Amino acid sequence: MDQTFDLPDSTDWLPTPLSLVAPLESALRCQVCKDFFDNPVITSCSHTFCSLCIRRCLSTEGKCPACRSSDQELKLRRNWAVQELVEAFQNARPSVIDLARKAAARASATEEAESEEPAPKKRKVEAVDGPAAEGVRTRSQTRGVGSQEDPVAIEVIEDSNDEEYVPEDGLVACPICNRRMKNEAVFRHLDTCTGEPAPPKQLNFGSLQPASQRPKDALNKAPERLPIINYSLLKDNVLRKKLKDLGIPNTGPRPLLQRRHTEWMNLWNANCDSKTPKSKRELLRELDIWERTQGGQAQLSGDVTDTVMRKDFDAAAWSTSHDDDFKRLIANARKKSEAQVRTTIPQENVGTIQATDQLASQTTYQPSSAPVVKHTEAIHAAEDAHCL
Amino acid sequence: MAPFPQKKSTNPLPPQMKDHLPPGITIVKSDNLEEWQMDIKVLDSNPLYQNETYRLKFTFSNKYPIEPPEVQFIECPPTSDHPRPIPIHPHIYSNGIICLDLLSSAGWSPVQTVESVCMSIQSMLTANSRNERPPGDSDFVSYNRRRPRDINFHYDDDNV
Repeated sequence: MDQTFDLPDSTDWLPTPLSLVAPLESALRCQVCKDFFDNPVITSCSHTFCSLCIRRCLSTEGKCPACRSSDQELKLRRNWAVQELVEAFQNARPSVIDLARKAAARASATEEAESEEPAPKKRKVEAVDGPAAEGVRTRSQTRGVGSQEDPVAIEVIEDSNDEEYVPEDGLVACPICNRRMKNEAVFRHLDTCTGEPAPPKQLNFGSLQPASQRPKDALNKAPERLPIINYSLLKDNVLRKKLKDLGIPNTGPRPLLQRRHTEWMNLWNANCDSKTPKSKRELLRELDIWERTQGGQAQLSGDVTDTVMRKDFDAAAWSTSHDDDFKRLIANARKKSEAQVRTTIPQENVGTIQATDQLASQTTYQPSSAPVVKHTEAIHAAEDAHCL
Repeated sequence: MAPFPQKKSTNPLPPQMKDHLPPGITIVKSDNLEEWQMDIKVLDSNPLYQNETYRLKFTFSNKYPIEPPEVQFIECPPTSDHPRPIPIHPHIYSNGIICLDLLSSAGWSPVQTVESVCMSIQSMLTANSRNERPPGDSDFVSYNRRRPRDINFHYDDDNV
């Protein structure tokens, strides 16, 4: 396999003798972004996604993308087991895939060279062909059939269990220092964890115990999750103040303020799910990227609240989406001029600039004005009747 | 296999992925993350679509996959090297616009992929026995200048 660029995918395994690893890797990837799980969380319908992915989905339509059942982001819980699986798999992946590719290359080389020895050749061909043929399955198919993934996944879990014994005491180990503590405490502890192994229990009675003090200090530092806001209850200036208090830009029209707040809340709360939370500065940088790609500078065609034309105004999309309106305007204008009335350009709420531009460019579309009106009406009728 | 723009990379599709698509689906163009083209074939013996290949155009917004891609058939003239007609179907307009629930924001789910959309359209064709266009096709085709995402379809037919 020559790789011209490095973009690992579960299909990398298919041409190797380890083609059955493909569904395993596929199961370790988020169904929304298709990347390895990043801060995996589990929904109340037991589906796992990246924290940020599912938060964006839920804030858009409030449904689990996998099964369409309603869910709330408050009910999301971190899925540490999946996180460990992903980390372990990602660590192991480069060397394993390397080995598998070498094996595949060796198998095909011997196949060609040793054509005189039928017995060993046959065995080798079987070893390569069997799983490879089996492995030509797609992600969507394997996703649907959980039973096919399970045996593979279980094998790996057993491997890792051999190395690390985990007592069933209801506590979890800090992934850095292995100290055991309540699940809720791990996250806060991680803020201050130095990676030093746990000190022996209570050997130093009466002495200073700075280590045990740390989690309490961390209580103050732990980032707090942002609550969902019911935007309809907030007036403009209150919402603006809220954004300002959060330290994010508070300019722009109302819908943008809401979307910006939602995105910030998603970024922030997803960061709260992270084992290694990013700094606020980094989150602000991510919000800035969002602003440039999906926020204030990339508005939907539906949002026509701006009265000033934006620099990146998509004139082509605008003219196509409002073509019917323009045609009607043109038709009206012509009727009026035919009736010897002094021509005025009818104004849409969007301003006259686009309308006049279109007057010039749209005239090519239609030989005469009357049929246009008739046909647009016909289309509207058809829209009601069928699925236009 | 995920023919799918990935969030952490602006790289095009890795070559090895092209070899593992479901039967009847091939990638024609995937060199950027804004527009892809796919060829699909109907695999069973439905006489309406036998021995034909159709071309789909996917247009991704920067909110993909939270929002659906725009998907429509595109036509290549019969005189070209690879002629691609627009399939006849009561929910496919002759300009290639497809009336399909899962491509609307309401029916879309972010777990869908280019591959799964292609498979849905394949089965939409397979299941059809009516050799007809949607009602009002000619009017719609002549006068629609809207993009598919801006059209409000009414999904009144559950038998597709």
